[in-house]
Amino acid sequence: MAQRTRPDGGKPLDRADSGKPAPRTDGAEPLSRPGRGASRSRPGPSAAGTRLWTWLMIPGTLWMTGFLIASLVLVAALAFGTTDPLGNPQFGLNFDNIAAMADPAYRAVLLRSLGYALLTCVICLLVAYPVAYAIALHGGRYKNLLIAAIVVPFFANYLVRMYGWSVVLSDDGPLLRALRAMGFADGDTKILQTGPGVVAGLVYGFIVFMIIPLYAALERMDVSLIEAGRDLYGGPLRTFFFVTLPATRQGAAAGCVLVFLPAMGDFVSAQLMGGPDQIMIGNLIQDKFFQGQNWPLGSALTMLMMAVLFVGMIGYLRRTRKDEAEAVR
Amino acid sequence: MTLRPALHPVRRPGPRTAADTSPRGAGRSAASRQGHASRTRHRRGTDRRPRFAIAVTVLFFLLLYLPIGVVVLFSFNSQKSLTVFEDFSLRWYSAFFRDDVLLSSLGMSLQVALVAMVGSLILGVALALGLVRCRSRLGSLAGLVMLVPLITPEIVTGVAAMLLFKGMGITLSTGTVMLAEITFSISYVTVILRSRIAALNPEVEEAAMDLGATRWQSLRLVTLPALLPSILASAVLIFALVFDDFVLAYFTTGVEPQPLSVRIYSAIRFGVQPTINAVGTLMLAGSVGLIVLALTIPRLFGRRGGLDLLSGK
Repeated sequence: MAQRTRPDGGKPLDRADSGKPAPRTDGAEPLSRPGRGASRSRPGPSAAGTRLWTWLMIPGTLWMTGFLIASLVLVAALAFGTTDPLGNPQFGLNFDNIAAMADPAYRAVLLRSLGYALLTCVICLLVAYPVAYAIALHGGRYKNLLIAAIVVPFFANYLVRMYGWSVVLSDDGPLLRALRAMGFADGDTKILQTGPGVVAGLVYGFIVFMIIPLYAALERMDVSLIEAGRDLYGGPLRTFFFVTLPATRQGAAAGCVLVFLPAMGDFVSAQLMGGPDQIMIGNLIQDKFFQGQNWPLGSALTMLMMAVLFVGMIGYLRRTRKDEAEAVR
Repeated sequence: MTLRPALHPVRRPGPRTAADTSPRGAGRSAASRQGHASRTRHRRGTDRRPRFAIAVTVLFFLLLYLPIGVVVLFSFNSQKSLTVFEDFSLRWYSAFFRDDVLLSSLGMSLQVALVAMVGSLILGVALALGLVRCRSRLGSLAGLVMLVPLITPEIVTGVAAMLLFKGMGITLSTGTVMLAEITFSISYVTVILRSRIAALNPEVEEAAMDLGATRWQSLRLVTLPALLPSILASAVLIFALVFDDFVLAYFTTGVEPQPLSVRIYSAIRFGVQPTINAVGTLMLAGSVGLIVLALTIPRLFGRRGGLDLLSGK
């Protein structure tokens, strides 16, 4: 580590010495001060250091605040706006868009999105857990390779992957042909243009978010716990449900949040895998901003989605807090 | 692909964290001794490999790679069909390289990815350094702001960015995509680098300062070189992510030119075009190459790990 951090030997430091003597730091912290080692671990004990760190932080924070936070505030504000007769968005304090959220049509789409996203979470959990388990506990020296083999395609273009998936699921695609050959499906069975098709798309799109935290949790888990369970004559299932599963609960919860968030906002899956009856809230938002040109209504829909997600996040945070408190006890 | 069962499930102390090995080392070895002692009991059934989990894993890998395989395979098809593979041909690739619209999209995507990479690195590295080292109220505030894009669905950030640009009267164009992508990528850079910086030994920096370096010099001559592998790796990662990004680009792009992923989106919405298979294959190859590069960069510098780059741990 020390070698690595000083690749050019003492040269740069010599230069620093001869160029600028930097008396300030030397003077402020005499070498002989007792207990200085302890204060070092807390970074930036000197005023100059703190100032430098603050200055480093400012541009990024300003940028993020200026673009991201401001734009989110704008969406929230426009949700209370109206459109003038020409269709241009106007700011205001109008609750029509908020009231429109009570429209049964919107409520149906919201409920469908929630249902699809929840179902996606459950399926991801059911599939990802065995995969993460097999790799983390029985992957041996291929562990890293296998995880890389899962993660790498996930970083490939989302649309191309979704498109490939829709080809696989299509009526004369390889999956249905195989199922038909095995007698699990007949000529009328469809996956595309159905609700399950949309969920299949969401699962394919986001399952990696479930595998990574689960894998991390299983990897971190103390395997001697499983052995202890077996030593106490617990069967494999019993050990799994009473030892392994509780020990990795946090990873599963994190994975669910990481899958739920993008699944709720996705509009590609519903477009490629579903029909007009399977649209999700993301499709509605997209439609209001591009085809419908009703930005205030689109903003209100966006805020509705954020509100639902926010409630979920609060629930998750409270839950994990409780878990942590229990772990401490 | 074989999943070799561990003969007994006691793992080596993982390379994950240094803290993991030291305090629990004694407990581990005790556990492993017990593992040996009770191996016979395990043999009786509890310690066999989890057949169900392995079966699911095999099936999962099959389904994970099937769509990618289909795209690659049919990009070489001589016919337009997506169900019957006729003959090997490169006609869709040559169609792509003759398509000026798609080529200009490719150029724009590369441009955007490059600018976003540089911009977000400059802002993100500085932000990460400040976040780790600074214990002020501004620090915790900045930490919160940085998390926002990570817990917001992309469609929301996309809509918001579009509204902001339109509200400020800026015409959507390549520039707006760049601005939006920089904003989005700063968080990634910061998340990746934060743990790296926290893992650095601050005493090395202090030593440099004891030898007469200023705070700034120690940062520039000691800390940044130590961070270089992680910075390079995250640069490659950001490039790949931005190049492939669709949702944000979709909401912030103008009419002409459009990023490649947006072009692909409109193409696959209006019926299947085999050229997309060729473009998709090239993009797959590109991003997979970049990710593998990002994963191997830390190793090139003699560090282990790299996978944690992707999980941000």
